[in-house]
Amino acid sequence: MPEREGPGKRTLKATRGDFAANPRAPFVELGLVSAFSFLRGASDAVDLVLRALEAGYDAIGMADINSMAGVVRLHVEAKEARLRPVIGCRIETTEGLAFLAYPQNRTAYGRLCALISAGRMATPDGAWQAKDICQITLAMLERHADGVQLILLPPDDLETEFTAERNSVPLPFRDGDGTVDPSSGANHLRLVHSAPLTATLDALLPQLIARLPSLRHIAASYLYRGDDIARIARIDAMARGHGLSILATNDVHYATPDRRPLQDVMTCIREKVLLRDAGYRLHANAERHLKSPAQMAALFALWPHAITAARGVADACAFSLDELHYEYPEDPIPLGLDPDQRLADLTWQGAHTHYPGGVPGKVVQLIDKELVLIGKLRIARYFLTIKDIVDFARAQDPPILCQGRGSAANSAVCFCLGITGVNPAEHEMLIERFISEERKEPPDIDVDFEHERREEVIQYIYRRYGRHRAGLCATVIHYRPRSAIREVGKVMGLSEDVTSALAGTIWGSWGSAVEEKRVDEAGLDLDDPLLRRVLKLTDQLIGMPRHLSQHVGGFILTQGPLTETVPIGNGAMPDRSFIEWDKDDIDALGILKVDVLALGMLSCIRKAFDLIDLHYGARFTLADVPREDARVYDMLCRADSVGVFQVESRAQMNMLPRLKPRLFYDLVIEVAIVRPGPIQGDMVHPYLKRRSGKETVAFPSPSPEHGPPDELERILKRTLGVPIFQEQAMKIALDAARFSAQEANQLRKAMATFRSRGMVTAHQDKMVGRMIARGYDAEFAHRCFDQIKGFGEYGFPESHAASFAHLVYISSWIKCHYPDVFCAALLNAQPMGFYAPAQIVRDAREHAVEVLAADVNESGWDNLLEARRDKKLCPLRLGFRQIDGLKEGDIARLLDARNSARFASVQELRERTGLGVPVLQRLAEADAFRSIGLDRRQALWEVRALKNVPDLPLFAAAAARDEGAEESAAALPPMALPEHVVADYQTTRLSLKAHPLSFLRAAYAARGFTRHDALKTVRDGRRVKVAGVVLIRQRPGSAKGVCFITLEDETGVSNLVIWPSVMERYRKIIMGARLMEVEGRVQRDESGDAPDVLHVVVEKLTDGSGGLLTLSEDLLSPKVARADHVKSPLPASVGRHPRNVSVLPKSRDFH
Amino acid sequence: MPVVSANELQERPTALVSEGTHGLVIAAANAAAIAAGVGPSARFADARAICPQLQSVPHDPQGDAALLERLTRWSRRWGPWTALDGADGLLIDTTGSAHLFGGKQATIAQMLRSISQVGYSARAAMAPTAAAAWALARFGGDAQRSQSTPAICEADQITSALAPLPVAALRLDTPTVLLLKRLGLKTIGDLMAVPREGLVRRFRNRRDPAANPLIRLDQALGSAREAIPALETEPAQRAFARVAEPILHVAILLPVLETLSQQLSGSLRKRHRGARRLGFEAFRIDGHVARLEAELARPTRDPAHMTKLFAERLEGLEAGFGFDAFALTALWHEELDAAQPDLSGAVPDDALLASMIDRLVVRLGRHNVRLPQPRASHMPERSVVWVSAVEKLSLPRSRSKAAAARFNAKTPHQLPLPFHQRPLRLLDTPEPIAVLYITPDGVPRRFTWRRVQHEVIKVEGPERIAPEWWREKSTARLRDYYRVEDQAGARYWIYRGGLVGDGRGGAPDWYLHGLFA
Repeated sequence: MPEREGPGKRTLKATRGDFAANPRAPFVELGLVSAFSFLRGASDAVDLVLRALEAGYDAIGMADINSMAGVVRLHVEAKEARLRPVIGCRIETTEGLAFLAYPQNRTAYGRLCALISAGRMATPDGAWQAKDICQITLAMLERHADGVQLILLPPDDLETEFTAERNSVPLPFRDGDGTVDPSSGANHLRLVHSAPLTATLDALLPQLIARLPSLRHIAASYLYRGDDIARIARIDAMARGHGLSILATNDVHYATPDRRPLQDVMTCIREKVLLRDAGYRLHANAERHLKSPAQMAALFALWPHAITAARGVADACAFSLDELHYEYPEDPIPLGLDPDQRLADLTWQGAHTHYPGGVPGKVVQLIDKELVLIGKLRIARYFLTIKDIVDFARAQDPPILCQGRGSAANSAVCFCLGITGVNPAEHEMLIERFISEERKEPPDIDVDFEHERREEVIQYIYRRYGRHRAGLCATVIHYRPRSAIREVGKVMGLSEDVTSALAGTIWGSWGSAVEEKRVDEAGLDLDDPLLRRVLKLTDQLIGMPRHLSQHVGGFILTQGPLTETVPIGNGAMPDRSFIEWDKDDIDALGILKVDVLALGMLSCIRKAFDLIDLHYGARFTLADVPREDARVYDMLCRADSVGVFQVESRAQMNMLPRLKPRLFYDLVIEVAIVRPGPIQGDMVHPYLKRRSGKETVAFPSPSPEHGPPDELERILKRTLGVPIFQEQAMKIALDAARFSAQEANQLRKAMATFRSRGMVTAHQDKMVGRMIARGYDAEFAHRCFDQIKGFGEYGFPESHAASFAHLVYISSWIKCHYPDVFCAALLNAQPMGFYAPAQIVRDAREHAVEVLAADVNESGWDNLLEARRDKKLCPLRLGFRQIDGLKEGDIARLLDARNSARFASVQELRERTGLGVPVLQRLAEADAFRSIGLDRRQALWEVRALKNVPDLPLFAAAAARDEGAEESAAALPPMALPEHVVADYQTTRLSLKAHPLSFLRAAYAARGFTRHDALKTVRDGRRVKVAGVVLIRQRPGSAKGVCFITLEDETGVSNLVIWPSVMERYRKIIMGARLMEVEGRVQRDESGDAPDVLHVVVEKLTDGSGGLLTLSEDLLSPKVARADHVKSPLPASVGRHPRNVSVLPKSRDFH
Repeated sequence: MPVVSANELQERPTALVSEGTHGLVIAAANAAAIAAGVGPSARFADARAICPQLQSVPHDPQGDAALLERLTRWSRRWGPWTALDGADGLLIDTTGSAHLFGGKQATIAQMLRSISQVGYSARAAMAPTAAAAWALARFGGDAQRSQSTPAICEADQITSALAPLPVAALRLDTPTVLLLKRLGLKTIGDLMAVPREGLVRRFRNRRDPAANPLIRLDQALGSAREAIPALETEPAQRAFARVAEPILHVAILLPVLETLSQQLSGSLRKRHRGARRLGFEAFRIDGHVARLEAELARPTRDPAHMTKLFAERLEGLEAGFGFDAFALTALWHEELDAAQPDLSGAVPDDALLASMIDRLVVRLGRHNVRLPQPRASHMPERSVVWVSAVEKLSLPRSRSKAAAARFNAKTPHQLPLPFHQRPLRLLDTPEPIAVLYITPDGVPRRFTWRRVQHEVIKVEGPERIAPEWWREKSTARLRDYYRVEDQAGARYWIYRGGLVGDGRGGAPDWYLHGLFA
C-alpha cells in the first residue's frame, strides 16, 4: 500500500544529469547542520551538495545534532555529484559542551551510533527515554570516543561556565610551573570521587583533553561578530596552550545566504515566538552559509593551520557508508546449516504438507526456479527470517492469523513456507518479475497480522533479536503545504483568519505548492509584501523534514548490533524503538526490512473462523476455504459487499456489477483498478469495454526486425491489453521501450514524484521515442506513457493486489455463507473498515440474520451468536461492547455474577455484581433491562433509586425508616418509540427498533417522495424526490469539487452527486444538515448493463433536520467527513472516518 | 439578563474563537453566523467549511468579564444591589425600587432601552426569585416576544410561569438535564408533578445544586434561599476639610493640603491601598471649584509625596473671594501592601525614582518624561525604545504575576554583548562620512566627519548586521560596523552600508553611528 508521505523527496538523480568532480580543495567544511537538525538547519542534502560542488569542494562533511538521520541522503547525493561525503555528527552533551565528531573508520562509526542510541534509549539515570530526546553525557562520550576525531565547539561567550562531573581518569600532576613531567609515572593524581567542576572552557580543557584523547582540535569560526580576530586569536592561544590546534569551520546552517529568512522562521517555530519578538534568538547576519574553500582560506589568512587542520580531519576520516555490509540474522538457522539448504528443506517439506496428493509438476518447476534465484541473490536468510516470525504467530494459542504480500511474497516458496495463502498451483506466480538479478534491489515481503495482536509479534521480535539488533524503520514527516503555511503564517504574525484562509485554499494536502491563483480566490491581496513573503517562505519550507516518526511496521534486523549501524531511538508509543533512517535510506544502503503490519480484516476473519467452528462445527484456515465458489461471485456481482475487505467502498461497489468478477484473478483486477492511478490514467473504461466485448483485445507489435511480435501480449494478456499494475508499466518500459534495468529503475522512482516535480518530459521523450523507433504506433506509445504517468504514487503492484484479493475472497465467502458469523465478527473487530455498526447490522438483517438487542441477562462483552433454531442462521445478540462508555472489567463482573442465576431485578443485579450506579445507569440508558421487564425509562428510574455504596444490613433498615419505603412507582410519562430510537442511537449508535425516517415516512409519502428501495425501478433521467439521514459526505481530492453524499432511509441507501455549482448554492445544507430532502434526476451508468448502479444528481436541496427534531429534541449535527476513500488509506489528520460519524448524535444538548 | 451578542453592527458572520485542545473552538457567534449555521462549541475549521466567509475574533473572557462587571455596576441605577450572573448575565434586585421608574413594566422596558443604547442586546425578566428570573429571561418565550414585552412574573404566578419551561431552565448541568429527559421529565412542570420523595431518593447524593433538580426547583419557587454575592465596589477615598475663615492667600493653603494628605494617607493605609491618581479640589465661596489632578507612576500613600505633587501648583489657583472647603480624593487606587523600610529607615531606591518621576511628570506632562527600554533587536537604533515613564513603571504591576514573569522572560533586558562593543552615545540618525578604504571590503584608513579629517590608527571589525528582512524593503543593505580610533585617541563607531556587488545599490556608503567614551 503506498504510504502518504507528502511531497516527493528531492533527489539529484531526478533533477540533474552528470556532474564533474572537483579537484582536491585545500579546505573541507565539517561544521554543517542539515535540515535533519530539525528547525536548525535550513537546507537539505541536495542544496548543500549542489552548493558545495559549485563552491569547489571535493569533499563535504555533515554533522547533524546528535543524529545520523541525514547522512544517508548526503551519502547518496554526494556520490551522485561525485563529492566525497564525510560522515559525522555534532554531539551536544548535557553539560552544554558541543563537539563535532568524525569517525575514522567503521568501528568508530559504530561507536558513535551506539553513543547516540544510548542517549536516545535511556536517560542518564537509566529510565526509558522520551521520543526525540537525546541525552549524552561527557562520560558517555568518553566511553565511545575511541577512533572518533573530536573537535570542540567553543561557546559564543568564552566566559561561559560549564559544570562537568569529574571522573576517575588519572590526571597528570602538574609541577609548580605548570609543566607536565611525562617521565614520572608516580605522580599521577587519581581522582576517585569529587564534586563536579564548574569552570570556563579554558580551565576545563585539561580535564577534557585527559578524558577525550581523540580531542585534537577546537573549532574557530569567522562570523563577522566584530571581534572575530581577537576571538580566534584567543581560541588559537587557548588551543596551543593545551597542545591542540584550531580548525576552521563556518558553522554552516544553510547552503546559500538567501536561506537566512527561512532559518530565522525555523528558529521562531522552534522557539515558539513571533518573528518580531525573536530578537537575539536570530542570527545577526547571513554569514553561516557554505563558503568556498578560497573564501575560507582568505578569512583564515592569519591562521592557515586552521584550514589545513580541517583538511586533515576530513582526510583521516576514511569511513564511507558503503562499508555498512548488511548481514541477515543467523538466528533462524540451526548452527552449521547452510541457509540455502535449510530453505530448500523447509520449502519441500511445506510443499509436501500442502499437496498431500503429490506436488504438481508446475509447482515443482516453480520452486526449483525460485530456489536457484534466491541462491544467486543470497537472500535465503531473508525468507527464513520471515518464516521464523510467521511461525511464531502461528504457534501462539490461539494462533495469530497472518498473511504475506509484497513483491517477493507471491512465490511458490512463500506459499510452501506458509507465508502466503495464494496457491501457486492455481495462480500465475510472478516472482522473477520482482526479484530479478539485474535489479540489485532487496526483495520486499510485508506480513499482515491481526491488528489486535500485532503488538505480540513486535515484542517477540524485540525479544528474539534484542533492542540493539532490531528496530523499526523511521518515517520522515515533511512539512506539507497546510502545515507549512500555518507555521510560517503564525510566526510572521498573520492572524488566524488569514492563515486558515490560506491553508483553506488547499482542500487536501496533496498539492506540493500553494497555488497563487487559489490564494487570490480566497480574497487575499497578493500585492501585500508580507503575504508574498509568507508564500515564498512557505514554498521553501514545504518538503523540509519536520520530525521523525516510526514507520507503521517496517523492521530492520541484523546479525551484529544494529545500534552500531544506525542510531536507534525510542518511539512515542511505549516499548517501541526505531532507527533514524527511513525506507528510502535503507533501500539506498541495501538493507532489508520486514514489514510487520496490522490488518483489521485478519482479526475479523479469525473471529469468524472461531465462530463457524463453534456454531457450525467446521474449521477453516486462510488456506483451505473452498475456492472459486460461484455463489460468492454471484453475491459480489450484485455489489452486495458491505463489510467485505477492500471492495466495500462506494467506488468499489459501483465497479463490481460492471466488472462482474467470476474468477479469483478478476478480484485481483478489481482491487487494483479502483485506485487513483488507473482511474487517472483512464484505464478503467478501456478495460471494461474490452471485458464486455465491446472493444476487441488487440496487442500492437513492434516492427518485425525489432523483436517478437507478441512482446506486449505476454505482458498485458492477463489484463486484456490495458496496463493496470505497476509492474506492467515497468515491463513495457523494459521490453517495448528497451529501457535498461537502471533506466527502468529511475523511471519507477520518478513515477512517485511525477505529480509533484514535473519530471515528465525527459522520461516521456525517452520512452515514446524509443517505442516509435521500434515500430510502435506513435499514438499508442503516447497513450502507454500517459497511463504510466497516471499511476503516480498510487499505482498498485500485482503482488499486493493478489494478496488482498485473497482476503476479499475469504471475507466474501464468509459473508455469503455465514452472514450471521460475518456480522458478529465484523462488529467484534471494530473499529475497522468503512461502515459503522448501524450499517453492518442493517446489512445483516437484510440477509435474514435475526439481531437481538443487548441485555443484562443475555449479552456478553462481545457480540455473540445464540443457539441455532430449526436450521436457520444463528441469531446475533449484540454485546455490551456496542454500548458507549462501558468498561470490559465491569462487564466481566456482571457475567461472573450471572453464571449462577439470571437477574430478576435491578436491585438484585446491583447486589450480586456490586457494580456502581453510573455503570447501571449506562446499561439502563442503553435499554438493556428488557429481560427483567423494564423499559429504558423505568429501568433508569429504578437505577437512580439505588445508592452508590452498598448498605450494610443494619443501616439499610435505618435508611428505609428515614426515607420511607417508596409507596408507589411514580407515573412517568411513557417513552414514545421515536424517543427510544433516538436514545438507542445515542447510546449504541444503532437502533433495532426502527429507523428514524420511518416515523416521517407518512408525511414524505404524502409529499411525493420516493423510498430508496423504490429508486431501483426508476428509469434513467427521471426526476425524483428522496429524503434520508446523511451517512457520509465526501469530497474526494480527485473529483474536481464534486461532492458525494450517501443518504439512508428505512429501506436502504441512495447516493447523491452534487456538482460544484449546486454545492455553492446549498453549501450550508450540504455541510450541516442531518436529514436532507433532495430533488434531482436519476442517473444510471450503462443502462441495462448494471441495474444497481445509480446516483441522484442533485438539483435542489432542503434541510429536513427539523423533522428529526420532532422525534426528540436532543440531536447534534454529524461532522463533515473529508474522507477520500479512493485514495485510501484515509488521512488520519483531517476529518474523521465515516464509520465514526454518528447518524444521530451522542448525548448533548442544543438550545 | 444575558447579553446575547456583542456587536450586531457587523453584519458579516463573526465568531469569537478560543484555543481548544484540537484547534480553535468557537466560543460565541453573532446573529449572522448563527443564521449561516455556525454555533458555539463547534470547531472553527468545521464552521469554516459550512460558512467560508466566517471571520474570527479572538475570544477574550477576561475582557468580557471586566466589561460585564462594569455593566453590572452601571446597572445599579435600577436597584441598590446588583450581581454578576455567570459569564453572560447580571442580576438586579429591584425590590422596592421599581416604583421609582414607573412600575415594573416601565422599569424593565427602560433597562432594555438603556442597554440597547449602549450597544448591546439583552433579554430580561423580572420574578420574585433570582432563579425564576434566570429561567424566564433565557427560556421564557421566543426571542422576538421577549424583546418587546419582557416577562414579568408575580409571586403567585411562579409555578404556572415556570411549569412549561424545559428542565434546563433550572440551571442544571448537562448530564442531569439529559438524565431528566431520559426519565421523561422534560419540563419543570413534569418535575413538579413527580412525588417529592421519589426525587429525593434519586438525587440524594447530589450536593451540587447544578446536579440536583430539587434544590434548583426550591430555589426557583422561593422555598429555599440562594446566596448570591453582590458585586462589591471600592469607594473612592476622600479627605475633606473646612476652614472657618475663607482663605484668600494661596500661600496659607499648604498646611491644609498637608492635613488632607495625612488624612487620606491614613484611610488608604487602613485599606492597604495606594493612590495612582489624585484630585485636589478647592471650593470657593462663590461656588466655583478649582481642580488639580496628578497621576502617579506607582501607587503611593506617602503624605509628603502627595503634598509635594500639588504644592508647586497651588500658586496657579485663583483665590477670588477665598476658599472655604478643600478635598483630596484618590480617584484611582490600587492595592499597596505595607513596605518595610530597611534598618536605617531608608526607603528602597525604586520608590525614590518613582517619586522623582511623579514630580517630573507633574511639571512636564506625562508624555514628556520617558525612559529607555531595551528591545531585543540586532539593529542598534532599534535595540532601544523610549516609553512613557508612568506607563513603563506600571507595566509589570498591572498584569498578573504569571504574565509579568512571562513579560520579563520574553524581553531580555540585557544585550547579549560585551559592554565595550556598543558605543555609549548613539546618534539618532547616522551621519554620512567620507572614508578611504581598500575596496571591496577593506578596513577604513581615514574618514572625514563634519569636515574634520580623522586618521584611523586602530580598527576592529567588521561586525556584520543584516537588515531585518521581515520589516524592511528588499533593497535594505547590510551594515559592516567598525570600531575605530583616530590619531587623537577618540573612538568612533562607523559602518559601511552594503557590499560591493550585493545588487542593492551602487558603491557602499559610510556612516558614523556612535561615539565611544
